[in-house]
Order: sequence, then structure tokens, then C-alpha cells
Amino acid sequence: MSEQFSNEPLLDMYIFETTQLIGQLEECILSNEKSSCYTQSAINEIFRIMHTIKGSSAMMMFENISSLAHSIEDLFYFMREENPQNIDCAALSDLILEGIDFVKVEIEKIKSGDAADGEASALIDSIKVFLSILKRSNASTALTEDKEQSSIKKQQYYISSEKVKTSAMKNAFKAVICFEEGCEMENIRAYSIIHNLKGLSDEVFYIPEDIIDNDESVDVIRREGFKVILKTDSSYERVHEFFMQTVFLKDLELTQLDNDDELKQLSRVRQAATDQISKSQSSHKQDKEDKGTENKGLDSKDTQTVSTQQSIISVSVTKLDKLMDLVGEMVIAEAMVIQNPDLKGLELDNFQKAARQLSKITSEMQDTVMSIRMVPLSATFHKMHRIVRDMCKKLGKEVQLEIMGEETEVDKNIIEHISDPLMHLVRNALDHGIEPPEDREAKGKPQAGIIILEAKNAGGDVLIIIKDDGKGLNKEKILKKAKENGLLHKSEGNMTDKEVFNLIFLPGFSTKDSVSEFSGRGVGMDVVTKNIETVGGSVSVDSVSEKGTIITLKIPLTLAIIDGMNIKVGNSRYTIPTISIRESFRPKESDIITDPDGNEMIMVRGKCYPILRLHEHFGVKTDITEFMKGILIMAEVEDKALCIFADELLGQQQVVVKALPSYIRDSKKISGLAGCTLLGDGSISLILDISRLASLKKVSI
Amino acid sequence: MKRVLVVDDAAFMRLAIKTILNKNGFEVVGEAENGAVAIKKYSELRPDIVTMDITMPEVSGMEALKSIRVLDPKAKIIMVSAMGQEGMVREAIMFGAKSFIIKPFKDDHVIQTINKILSI
Repeated sequence: MSEQFSNEPLLDMYIFETTQLIGQLEECILSNEKSSCYTQSAINEIFRIMHTIKGSSAMMMFENISSLAHSIEDLFYFMREENPQNIDCAALSDLILEGIDFVKVEIEKIKSGDAADGEASALIDSIKVFLSILKRSNASTALTEDKEQSSIKKQQYYISSEKVKTSAMKNAFKAVICFEEGCEMENIRAYSIIHNLKGLSDEVFYIPEDIIDNDESVDVIRREGFKVILKTDSSYERVHEFFMQTVFLKDLELTQLDNDDELKQLSRVRQAATDQISKSQSSHKQDKEDKGTENKGLDSKDTQTVSTQQSIISVSVTKLDKLMDLVGEMVIAEAMVIQNPDLKGLELDNFQKAARQLSKITSEMQDTVMSIRMVPLSATFHKMHRIVRDMCKKLGKEVQLEIMGEETEVDKNIIEHISDPLMHLVRNALDHGIEPPEDREAKGKPQAGIIILEAKNAGGDVLIIIKDDGKGLNKEKILKKAKENGLLHKSEGNMTDKEVFNLIFLPGFSTKDSVSEFSGRGVGMDVVTKNIETVGGSVSVDSVSEKGTIITLKIPLTLAIIDGMNIKVGNSRYTIPTISIRESFRPKESDIITDPDGNEMIMVRGKCYPILRLHEHFGVKTDITEFMKGILIMAEVEDKALCIFADELLGQQQVVVKALPSYIRDSKKISGLAGCTLLGDGSISLILDISRLASLKKVSI
Repeated sequence: MKRVLVVDDAAFMRLAIKTILNKNGFEVVGEAENGAVAIKKYSELRPDIVTMDITMPEVSGMEALKSIRVLDPKAKIIMVSAMGQEGMVREAIMFGAKSFIIKPFKDDHVIQTINKILSI
């Protein structure tokens, strides 16, 4: 799916495709680095990618990116054609990765509307040097091959004029053709003329002669024009018409020749040259065949990389957002029709049947639109390979990254918020968690550490788990640092291990003594938490000393539409996400317990739940203040639970979540609201944030 | 309006050519991202002219050129190449390509070439 970075669709497409290709390239490099070296298919893929990027960057006038791509393309062209044996794969990979990073940076500049002014000349020089070293160390075979190739080609060219005798055609013409400036490849344009002339003429001579191989012929043609002498039975008009069909023709000088003299002379020259070359023909042909079979042998060793081609189209995210909005409006409109007050009390069997059908279709449409916005986590997860590789190199550690459940899908909007936190957590695991190989060996662990990235579905959420087998979190250190920074709100003895570990998510927290390049500035973890909470998710951590650490990110599948239970408190309406509701019941006054601080609680099947009086919390006037007259709804999120006291249940409904308007969010901080929505009768309902409300009422046991 | 089939494995390039063509009164009736799709679309759509990238995965532009020319000896195909691909362009001409456009191209180069070939 393409995002809009500018108002130019061409630029957007360039950014999108180049980003995609660079990603593919990086993956290719990383996977080939691990195995022996570059397979034939990898070389082909890299060549093609660089060729494409060279072309599109040149079109968009990003000369630095184009030149860099060109130099890498040349390098891989050599590798593809000559199949050199002595390649310093590690150095090659580093060079390409440097190139990849350069392009990434330039693309970011382009995205932000800045100039792509990076200097690639140093890197290009390094690549050229690498190529020339490669050429030299594989020198002897390459040079002789070139010579043979060109002489073979020369023969084909001479032999292509079948008749050696002079033609019997009546008319002889001489044409001088000048091409327009800047049309490029004039020698090939000249070749095109000669090729097409076959229908008209059976004897053709032209100057410059070596238009196929010799690039200098281009200069000759530009300076003096392309000269053709031909014999034909056609008239002057017909020959003129033929030459006028030449693309990018600037000037044509066509003269009919009176006699054959010039032609005869040229014919004799050609005959002599043909005789000389045909002698060496047979031996060269043999060599070429031998090389052909050699190359084939190498290819068969490659594992076939099959590309599964799905039918995919590119859609702008703005269009999808609009579609989502419309579907949301449709859900509300549908509710307004079906729950219309005008229909109250009427017996409407047929209508109800039709309404049910409408509901069914609306709901299916919703699911489909939602699924369109869903994107697998694979791309995000795969980005981590590069980070692990770079950090391992820099820190001298050995780590293997395992990815599970990458096909798990998440809303496109949410993916952007996951990438950075994930990167930080992986970096942390590598920096703080995994020990250096010597330490690991001393502890009896395998030298290579493991980091597992796993994604899976759990109800209405997606769980992303980052697990490492490093040294784990140090409880004492954490408590000490928390105390130092005044972050301890509870007494030490009262905290569970998990609560201690979760202190690391507080702002300003870091137990790393020195600030490394990658982490330890104390701004990482709380940024992670903030990013995740922005999308309505949560972070938690657990750890076992010397065994490792597990960090779990819980992220909602989508923010847009939820199943909700509508409730009434006085004249106000609220909605509770159905997924959080365990049960609802009318309590007996005797079940209610009040503690010395005035907090009300209720015992249900041996467990104690705090009670939240909605009318008190939101300051809403209602007649129903006695428990027996209203209803208690037990709601649970993760390990937090509470009972919400409201007037009555209004009914279940699919509800479109709209964010609270910024005006309200900025002017008055109301805790416990996740958003708002429009009900079927047109009234507004506030959606409760159960997690937040439960935290407020957390019972200290 | 003359009908054009645009063939290139880079979506960007297809969009670039399509944009130029649309601005100049041509109708892009189809796009293909490799030679195999190009051959299929040619037989379905029978366009007036084809722009064909040379380097493509699966089936190359050269192969597609040959196949389409067998399918329709009157097919007008213009190769899209980069500088340095002289050898392949020459081979393409040998196999029946009418002309070629070189990347990076300017609008008028594309239009001039296409118009010239359509007029023959």
C-alpha cells in the first residue's frame, strides 16, 4: 500500500518502490552473507535491483543515487558474466550495505521534502576499486574471452550479407543521415537503418563500418553523419520515403549515383576481409561452446528461489481511510434505521428479517475492509536482522535471531508505532541482556545467544514477544535505581518480582552505568511504553536471573470498530467493550463490603472486586444510587478487574470508536475514557477505558 | 486514440511512461511486469504499439519480443533500454523491434519515437 508523501504520484511511486527494493536487497545480502557467498540467482537479483534503481533514480533526477546504483550494477554485471572465483564476500557485503544505508538516508530526505544531497563519490570510488581488484585477480581468463567475443561478432557482421557478388539491381544511391543531437546510441540507430534496408536492397555498404561494437562509431556518426551506399530497384521517391522514416532524423542527403564504380571498389575490399577472418572462425566457436557448458554446471547448484506471485495491487492509504470512515458511518446509519424511535412498539416481522440481512452484510463488509488494512508483521520483523547483525559485529557478540508468527497481521496504522519500540527492545536485549561469548561459555551457555521474536493472536489483541536467553534483569539493581530516582511508590516488600521488573518502563530509568551508543540514556524504555500505549496497547516484562528476559507487547487488532455493551447512567450513555465484560448481575446489599477508607468492594465466588460508581466517578446525576436498583458489571483487563455500577444495560451493539475531540482532551483531563461513539438513536456514548479504571481502583492486598 | 501496452518490471517506470502517454493523448490499455504477462496481454488486447523493457525477471523483454512477433508479425514494439545495452538493443532490432527509447528519457523522445513508428 502506498502512502502519500507528496502531491506527486510519480515521486510517491519512486519512494515506495525504491524502499521496497532496498529492503529486498538488504535481505538478500544478509542471507547470502551467512551462507558461503553469493549464489548465481542472488547475483542476478542484485543486478536487476540496482539496474532498476539506477533507471528510476535517473528519471527522478537523483543523480547521486543513480550513480551509486550504476557502480554496484557494474560490479554485479562483472560477477554475473565472468563468474570470478576469488571474491572477498565479507568486504563486498559491507560495501553494499554501506550503499544501502546511503540510499535509505537519501530516501528519508526525499520523504521529508528535503534535497537528496548526499555525497556518494567516496563510496562509488571504493566500489570501483573493489571491481578493478576483482578484475585483476581474475584477469587472464577475462581478457582473452573479450578478444574472442569481439572477433566472433565481427564475423557475424560480415557474413550477414549473403551474396558476395555485386547485385544486379538497377539503381545506386548514396545517403548521408544526420541524427538529432542527444538522441543517443546513434550506432544502433544506424544499425536499425541497415537492418530495415534488407527489404529494399541486396547490397549495402556503410561508413562507419563497425557500428555494432565500436563506441567510437557513435562519435563518427555525430560528426560526419552516417553514410550509406546501396543498390536497389526502387525509385528515388521510395528510397527517400524509407530514410525519412528514421526516428530522430535531422538531415537527409540522398543522391542517385550514376555509376557502379564506388560500389565495386567497396565490394572488393569486403571480399578480402571476409576471407581473412573465416579462417579463424572454427577454433573460436569451439572455445565458446566449452565455456557455455561450464557456466550451466554452476547454475544447477543454486537452490531455486520460487517467488510466490500473489495478485497484488497498490492502494493509497488515504483512500482506505476514507473507506473505513464510510463503513463506520454506515454502521451508525444502520443502527439509526434499525433502532429508530419511530419503530418503537411496532410489529415488524418482515422488517426485522430484512434488518437482520442488512446487519449481516454490514458486518461482513466491516470485516473485509478491516482485513484490507491488515498487514503482516514480516517486514517489521525482518528489519531486525540487520540490527542484530550490525550490533553483533560492533559488540563482538554472537546472536541468532529467530522469528515466529511473522504472518500475524496488524492494522497498518499500528505497524508504524511498533517498529521503533521493537528496534529498541531488540537492541536492549543485545546490549544488556546477552552476555559476551566468553562469559556465556563460562556459565555453561552456548556461545551464541538467542533472541526470539514471536507474534501471535490472543483474542482481540496481538501479542509480540521478545525473548532472550541472556543474563536476565537484576532485581536489586532495579530497586536501587528506582529508589535513587524517587520512582518507588510502593514499599519494596509489597512488590512482586513482576512489579519490580516493570519499573524499568518508568521515565528516567536506566541501570546501565555508562551510556553506550545504542542504549543506556534512560529515554528508551518509557518511549517504548508511550508508543505502545498510543495505539492502545500495553507492555510487560518478566525475567529469570541468568536465564533470560521476556518482554510482551499487547496490541489491539484494530482501533476502529469494537463490540460494545451500552449502559445508562442518568441521562448519560456509556459503552463498555464487550471483550472486557465477564458478567453482570444485580447485587444484594449484604454482599457489599466497605473498607475503612470508604472503598466499596464485592465478594464474588471468593474473590474480592473493587466497585466503581460511574455516577460518582463522572459526576453524573442519577436517581439510581442503591446497588439493588442498578446493575453491577464485572469487567476485566489482563490481571485487573473491577465491578462497574450503572443504572441499566441498554444492549449490545457494534460501535465505531471515534477519538475524543482534542478540544475536550486538552481542556479537561478525564481519565477512564477511550473514545466516544454515536448510538442508534443519535445520542453520544462515551467508551470506557477499563484498563485505566481498573488501575484507579486497584485493591492493595 | 492509439492504444499502448506498457511493459516494465519496475512499477515506477510503468507509471512514468503511462503518465507521459496519457498527457499526450495515448490510451494505456494494459500494463505488464514481465515478459510472460506481456505476451498474454498482447494477445488479449492487441494494442497499436508496445513499450518493452529489456531486463525483466521470469521472461525477458527479448523473449517476449520474439514471441509477440511470432504471434503477430505486424506487432510494433519499442524497446526500453539503458545506456550500455547497445548489444541487446541491436539484437532486439534483429528480432523485429521497431525502435528504442533510452532511460532516463525525456517526454518528447518517447512521444516522437512512438509517433514515428505508428506512422510507418
